[in-house]
Amino acid sequence: MSHESQFCHERGLPFLEAQSLTKTYRVGGSTVHALRDVDFTAAQGDFVVINGPSGSGKTTFLNLISAIDRPTEGDVLIEGASTAALSERQLAQLRKDKIGLIFQTFNLIPVLTAAENAEYPLLLQKLSRAERSDRVQSILAEVGLEDLARRRPNELSGGQRQRIAIARALITQPKLVLADEPTANLDSETGAQVMALMRTLNEEHCVVFIVVTHDPAVAGYARRRIRIHDGHLMEGGTDDLVDSAPKSPS
Amino acid sequence: MTWWIPLRSLLRNRRRTILSVAIIGLGTAISLFVYGFLEDSRTQIQATTVGEYGNLQIASPVLWNDTADGYDYLIAPETEAEILELLAEHAGITGVTTQVQFPGLLAAGNQTQVVRITAQVPGNPTLNADGLIVEGRPLDPSDVASILIGRSLAGRLGVGVGDAVTLTLTTVAGAFNATPLQIVGIYRFTSEQVELQTLFMPQTFAKLLLNTAGVDRLIIGLSDIADTDRAATAIDRQLADAGLALEVRTWYELSPIYRQLAGFFDILFGFLTLAVFVLVFFIILQVLTLAFLERTREIGTIRALGTTRGQVFGQLLIESGWLALIGSLAGVAAGFLLGLGFNGLGIEWRPPGTVESSLLAVRLTWMTAVPPFVVSLIATLLSALFPAIQTSGLRVVDALRVE
Repeated sequence: MSHESQFCHERGLPFLEAQSLTKTYRVGGSTVHALRDVDFTAAQGDFVVINGPSGSGKTTFLNLISAIDRPTEGDVLIEGASTAALSERQLAQLRKDKIGLIFQTFNLIPVLTAAENAEYPLLLQKLSRAERSDRVQSILAEVGLEDLARRRPNELSGGQRQRIAIARALITQPKLVLADEPTANLDSETGAQVMALMRTLNEEHCVVFIVVTHDPAVAGYARRRIRIHDGHLMEGGTDDLVDSAPKSPS
Repeated sequence: MTWWIPLRSLLRNRRRTILSVAIIGLGTAISLFVYGFLEDSRTQIQATTVGEYGNLQIASPVLWNDTADGYDYLIAPETEAEILELLAEHAGITGVTTQVQFPGLLAAGNQTQVVRITAQVPGNPTLNADGLIVEGRPLDPSDVASILIGRSLAGRLGVGVGDAVTLTLTTVAGAFNATPLQIVGIYRFTSEQVELQTLFMPQTFAKLLLNTAGVDRLIIGLSDIADTDRAATAIDRQLADAGLALEVRTWYELSPIYRQLAGFFDILFGFLTLAVFVLVFFIILQVLTLAFLERTREIGTIRALGTTRGQVFGQLLIESGWLALIGSLAGVAAGFLLGLGFNGLGIEWRPPGTVESSLLAVRLTWMTAVPPFVVSLIATLLSALFPAIQTSGLRVVDALRVE
């Protein structure tokens, strides 16, 4: 996969900024604070792991910074631009062009083959058939699934499905990839392979990875580790985990 | 966005898709069968009506409005010639003939029957009774005191071909007249009433009996029945421009029975269409609501990947379009097979008040397939609107939460 930011010369430049993010829900007659006045910044090349107990607000935070949900208060800036005033259509375009998403349950489209699932975001970008085909071949090779291109999701193992989901998240060459519990449905060995792959792609393509997990093993892959508790973010150190991260296959 | 992803989505649950196609197809097939049947009946009645009246008739308004004083509606030979000149300009006219109708009393032995004589021009193909003859022969241009009588009247009077009867009438001036006539042929007609009351006679002889040179109408044949209204309007305008106090009537205006039947057929098909529409609409609404609901999470996923609400709505509608297309086409195919099977049975039926059985048939043309096809297509697409709007309008986070 060719990538313009392959040499990551923008590493360290701010890419995503969350300002005073608050998210509340009305449950029955009471108000539940999922996130309280959260500030967060991610720079180019970051590999951030966010962990915390169930119900701490991890997924809510991910939903807000991935522009699939709107904060009750605060703002999310992507490359310095506010997302608060964007319409639904503009948010969809932002997600399509700049954000890759990886889900806990893979969320592949069952009627499409592995290659077609990876290709789907390119259909939204209205690329030519030839360009789509080139990119699909390239990304499938990168995630090591070129031989399984024509298989449907139900013919793939959990690890293979998650690799396809990663290929789908990366095929548009986004600057930000958000993963919600990407190893939760995988055995530990497959989970390690998937994380190693994500880490390699982070290093090679300078893509910001933000991974939400409660799996302690995943935290070892982080450049930055952040903990969420009761809707508050607590920085768990910057770059101090790099040395302890398992070596990526690359 | 693409046409093939919705098609694949449609085929993911084959059992449900087959059920939906079967429902749409059944509705389309029933609709096509009934519509084809009504259209065949309508076509048969059209042919009979045009055979009885010609495509267009030109006559005085007092004749059309039944306000005539004696024979004041008769068209003089000079006027007839002038009209024929005007009609020569129309390309779609296949022929013109004239006709005189008058009442009389027909006596045979000791029986008398009130009759209506239709005096035609023998040999003129525009309108004659040649095709109706079941015994004897048609009228010939050389015939003088010859008549054709209906099968029912012949039976009632106990007469046959070659027998003599006597006709009594009044002339145009109001004088009594009577003449012996020879029956040269017996005709049949779909209506028993017509068979009992109508006689056909050579026009030249009728004019002698009435002591007039005039005719009461000109009858026009058209090459295409669909051209009726256009030709009627054009000829009406020509007559008005020429200062002739005459009006054109179309075959369907002249036949109240046809208008009643056509109206009845329209109502019948309207009710059937409504029933099929409601059936397809509500069943498919339920099926699609369930089908889209099951894919809420998947739709949340593609929305999260950057698909807009409009694109999701479009995809769901294309999927429904495929379902509608496949179901409606299957229905048309099934309707044609059903119709062919029915036509092959050769079932005959004699409508009340008629003397002839007619073959019950389903008219199977592409044109008869269009209304049922379109109705099923629209019903399916409309039934998809609500679930498609509902599903595409979901918030992404809510859709992703659905298990």
